[in-house]
Amino acid sequence: MRRKILITGGSSGIGLALANRLSIHHDVMVTGSRPQTDITEPFSSDLIYVQASQSEPETAVKTIAEALLKAGWVKLDNVVLNAGTGFAVKDAIDDIGRLRETMDINLTATILLSRTLYPWLAKAGGTLSIVGSVAHKGQALFPAYAASKGALNAFARALRSEWQSRVAVQILHLGPTRTDMHAKAGHDPGRLRSIFMRPSSMAAMMEFAMASKRSPLTLSFRRYASAGSRLGRNL
Amino acid sequence: MRALVTGGSAGLGQALCDALLADGFQVVNLDCDPPKVISEAGYLYCDLSSREDVDKALDALTAQAGFDLVIFNAGISATGKFEDISTASHARIIAVNAEAPMVLCAALMKFGKINHGGNIGFVSSLSHFTGYPGAASYAASKDALAVYARAVRKTWQRKFNIKVTAIFPGPLKTDHAARHSPEGADAEKRMTPDEAALLILRDIKKGRAHSILGGAAKKLLFWGKLRLNR
Ligand SMILES: NC(=O)c1ccc[n+]([C@@H]2O[C@H](COP(=O)([O-])OP(=O)(O)OC[C@H]3O[C@@H](n4cnc5c(N)ncnc54)[C@H](OP(=O)(O)O)[C@@H]3O)[C@@H](O)[C@H]2O)c1
Repeated sequence: MRRKILITGGSSGIGLALANRLSIHHDVMVTGSRPQTDITEPFSSDLIYVQASQSEPETAVKTIAEALLKAGWVKLDNVVLNAGTGFAVKDAIDDIGRLRETMDINLTATILLSRTLYPWLAKAGGTLSIVGSVAHKGQALFPAYAASKGALNAFARALRSEWQSRVAVQILHLGPTRTDMHAKAGHDPGRLRSIFMRPSSMAAMMEFAMASKRSPLTLSFRRYASAGSRLGRNL
Repeated sequence: MRALVTGGSAGLGQALCDALLADGFQVVNLDCDPPKVISEAGYLYCDLSSREDVDKALDALTAQAGFDLVIFNAGISATGKFEDISTASHARIIAVNAEAPMVLCAALMKFGKINHGGNIGFVSSLSHFTGYPGAASYAASKDALAVYARAVRKTWQRKFNIKVTAIFPGPLKTDHAARHSPEGADAEKRMTPDEAALLILRDIKKGRAHSILGGAAKKLLFWGKLRLNR
C-alpha cells in the first residue's frame, strides 16, 4: 500500500535519507527552514518540499497544514517529527538566543505539529514518530538540547498512552550519526566521527522501528550491528 | 543571604518564600501576580510566557547583588484532550514551565549572579517517574527541567561549587492541584505546601541531586531511584 508520509527536517541529514528511502514506495512530503534551492544533498525528485521554519512554531504549523491541503492529502499514515537543532556550550551555560531557538524548533514546534496533524493521523490510524536522542538523559555539552529531547521523551510517553489505538505515538532515540548536525552545533567529534552511523543506515533502522510502532526505542550502531534493521521489515 | 523564588505569590512558591524568610534570607519573588498575602519578600513582576518580560526581569535581576539560593518553581498546566487544547496554550506551557526557568538560570549563571557555594532548585514533577497521560505538554515541560538539572549539575558543582537539585513533588494541597487533578483525587492524604517547602529546602541546602516528596512518592522512591541511576 502506498502511504502518505510527512517528515520534518527533511532538507538534510537523517530526515532526507529517510525521505529518499521511503519515496521509492510511498508519497513523501518533507520540510526544512532553507529554500529548496539550498539543498545540497541528493534529493529525490519524487519528494514534495515545504519551506517552514520551526523557529516560528505557530507559523510553521500553519504553513505545513496548508501545504497538505494544497497537495490534496486528507490523511497521513506516518509523521516523522525529526527537525532539530542543538549547540555545544562551555561550562554548561547556554546562550539565551540559542536556548530559545532550540526550544522552539525541537520542542514547541513538535508539540504544535502533533496537535494540528492529529486529524490527518487519526483518519489513517497512523503512526507519529518523534526523533529523540541518546542525549535525552542529560549532557553537559548541550544542556538545552538534552532538555528538549528529554521533554520529547516525556511528551511521547504521555501522548502514547492518551491516544492509545487511535494514533500510535513513538519516540526514537537516535545515536550519533554522520550528518552536518555536529559541525552546525559547533562540536567537533574528531576521530569519533568515524564510528558514527551513516544516515542511510540510520534511515533503514528508522523504517524498521516505525513499522514496529514500539516506544521508546534506541537506534544506535550497537543495535544496527545486532541486525535490528536487517530483519527485512518495511512499512 | 539572598534567595530568588519564581511563582512565589501563591501555593508552594509562597510557602518557599515564607520558609526562606523565616530562615533569615532576603527573598525576591518573581511572579506575574502580586503576592496573595502581605509578605516581606520583594516582588518583581514578570509574565514568564513573555520573552520581553523575561528579558526585562533579567535586566533588573542582574543589576542586583548575586543570589545564594534560587528556586525555579513557577508552573502552569492545562487539562483536557491533547488535540482540544489550543496551540497557544501548549506553547505557553512550554514557555512558562521549561524555557523561562532555563533562560533565567543560564543568564544568571552567565552574569555570575548565582554566588559560588550557592544552590539552585528546579521544581519538576513526579510525572517524571510516573508518566502523565492527559497532560503531555505539561509532562514534557517538567521533564525538560529534570534533564536540564541533570545536564548542568556536575559541571557547575566542579567549576563554580554551585549545586543543582531537581525537585519532584507529588500533588500538593494547592489551588493549582485542586483545579487540575482528577475528581475524587484524595486531597486529604496530600502534603501541605508548608510541609513540602521545608523538605525541599532541606534537600536543596544539602545539595542533593534529587528531592522526591509527596505521600505516594515515598512508595515510588525505590523505583524512581532505579530509573535515575540507569
Ligand atoms: N546526527 C546525530 O548524531 C544525531 C543524534 C541523535 C539525534 N539526532 C536528531 O536527528 C534529527 C536530524 O538531525 P541530523 O543529524 O539529520 O542533522 P541535520 O543534517 O542538521 O538535519 C537537521 C534537519 O532539521 C531541520 N531544521 C533545523 N532547524 C530548523 C528550523 N528552524 N525549521 C525547520 N527545520 C529545521 C534542518 O533543515 P534546515 O537546515 O533547512 O533548517 C534539517 O533538515 C534531529 O532531531 C537531531 O536532533 C541526530
